[in-house]
Amino acid sequence: MKHFKHMTGPYILWSAAFIVIPFLLIILYAFTDGGLSLMDASFSLDSFQEIIDPLYVTVFSRSFQVGLITTALCFLLGYPMAYMITKFDEKVQPILILFTTIPMWINLLLRTYAWISILSDNGIFNMLLGKLGLAPVSIMYTGISVNIGLVCNFLPFMILPIYTSLSKMDPALLEAAYDLGANKLQAFTRVVFKYSLPGVLNGVILTFLMAISAFVIPKLLGGGQYTLLGNLIENQFISVGNWNFGSAISFILAVVILFTISFLKRIDPDDED
Amino acid sequence: MNKKIIELKNITKTFEHHQVLKGIDLTIYENEFLTLLGPSGCGKTTILRIIGGFEEADSGSVIFEGTDMSKLPPYKREVNTVFQKYALFPFMSVFENVAFGLSLKKMDKKVIQEKVEHMLHLVGLRGFEKRNINQLSGGQQQRVAIARALVNEPKVLLLDEPLGALDAKLRKEMQVELKKIQKEVGITFIFVTHDQEEALSMSDTVVVMNEGIIQQIGSPIDIYNEPKNRFVAQFIGESNIVPAIMKEDFLVSFDDQDFKCVDHGFLSNEDVEVVLRPEDLILSKPEYGQLTGTVTSITFKGVHYEIIVNSHHRDYKVQTTHYYEVGTEVGMSVIPDNIHVMHKMKEA
Repeated sequence: MKHFKHMTGPYILWSAAFIVIPFLLIILYAFTDGGLSLMDASFSLDSFQEIIDPLYVTVFSRSFQVGLITTALCFLLGYPMAYMITKFDEKVQPILILFTTIPMWINLLLRTYAWISILSDNGIFNMLLGKLGLAPVSIMYTGISVNIGLVCNFLPFMILPIYTSLSKMDPALLEAAYDLGANKLQAFTRVVFKYSLPGVLNGVILTFLMAISAFVIPKLLGGGQYTLLGNLIENQFISVGNWNFGSAISFILAVVILFTISFLKRIDPDDED
Repeated sequence: MNKKIIELKNITKTFEHHQVLKGIDLTIYENEFLTLLGPSGCGKTTILRIIGGFEEADSGSVIFEGTDMSKLPPYKREVNTVFQKYALFPFMSVFENVAFGLSLKKMDKKVIQEKVEHMLHLVGLRGFEKRNINQLSGGQQQRVAIARALVNEPKVLLLDEPLGALDAKLRKEMQVELKKIQKEVGITFIFVTHDQEEALSMSDTVVVMNEGIIQQIGSPIDIYNEPKNRFVAQFIGESNIVPAIMKEDFLVSFDDQDFKCVDHGFLSNEDVEVVLRPEDLILSKPEYGQLTGTVTSITFKGVHYEIIVNSHHRDYKVQTTHYYEVGTEVGMSVIPDNIHVMHKMKEA
């Protein structure tokens, strides 16, 4: 096994160059005030003080809210779907899983633009409402359109890990639960769901992280009116050019993400050892 | 005899055009250790699953203490199952696994604690309460599975080849243990196995099955000594099966020789088959034997030698503690008690 260790070399190089060093740079920018130049930078917490501004606190709490709602919706839609897929014949299951991932083959921008034409004021959705004699609704550029976009985009990332853990379950476990006196609901809550918990946690972590840091979907479906953390960071780096402030936000986001993961991992029964 | 607890009446079951059970009638009594024995695919596990409620019979009925429970879901039946691969809940401790059934019944925590402790003591796993399932050996998992089922105080315990995954030595130990546990809790055990030795050493009653049909029901001694047909004789233990003619009551003829026997009630000159167990054939000098032959092979088996003797009509398998050189001329005899005459099995 020892000589296989060399094969991790390229990966270590890659992550050093494109993950570790950039991350160190972000920390450096976050705690200094020298603008783009690192030459005349000195230690400062100015950027973090700036974040306390109510304007930015709103963006933080809104991002959190969007993350939670998207994750909750993905779970509520994704779990039953993953569960139902495991009930199909073993030969059919991979095909159904393929179907759930097909949207991912299409470019994210295209998919998001499609949502614009569906949800906009003169879009397909409102046209259908009109046909039914209902008043049109304004969904575009609100939290609703952003959440719809995020859920549709991240649903596969919830379904896949849940399906993976459910499909590993020995059907005899379910029979054992019935045998010991569990009705269908009890067998599900006490055995099936608990068995799939590691998959659920992975799905939750994945979707939450992606939702809280998303920026293309909120930018397109939220317009300028619905700024999330990802958009804020993007603005600071690309439009405003305040790398120090952008880095400070990225840093806080990274810390929040780390805490979320370590908190969720603690629930995971598989991680006891 | 004890009270009837389960009656199966004319049970049939077909899976994808293959008829697995072809009309099973079986009565199971209280406090009985009953074994369903047969080769794989004979339908024995299907019977167990129908009693457990995991499969529904196509026709026929399952009577439990006088009432039909054919349509009851598993969780309403007073039976519990020990599954083939144990099916323990991997995310629960030993204690939680055993307590699972009781906690569903919303029993008092203290009572659950007591019952689980008692049961773990019974299966010899005291002090293992907090262990994880994947920290246990196969034998220990087996015991947890038994405790988890028995703690619910079922009237019948179903065991689906529970010893199949254990190594030979552990299997022997668990056989003794299971029998002991059954005596101690005093309930009916229905045990499924394809291992004839296991069936003979543990059971009160053995049900031999083949191709969805019950071949014979009886005590282990009956099944071994009085096999009803060729299948049972071949499946249980080793045997020489010889075509013969029943000349009259107590007299059977094979290999051009007449033999006194203890069987009767056949037609005169009926074509029959005779079972001779290898350990019942006695070797001697040629002039003292009822049959003569030549030793063609000898194999050491530990306690005894297994010898193939070629008479002029066929090969006989013989077990003996004496050594015979290959090529030796020997005589063979058998006492009337050890000749077992069966009706000829219809060719399938």
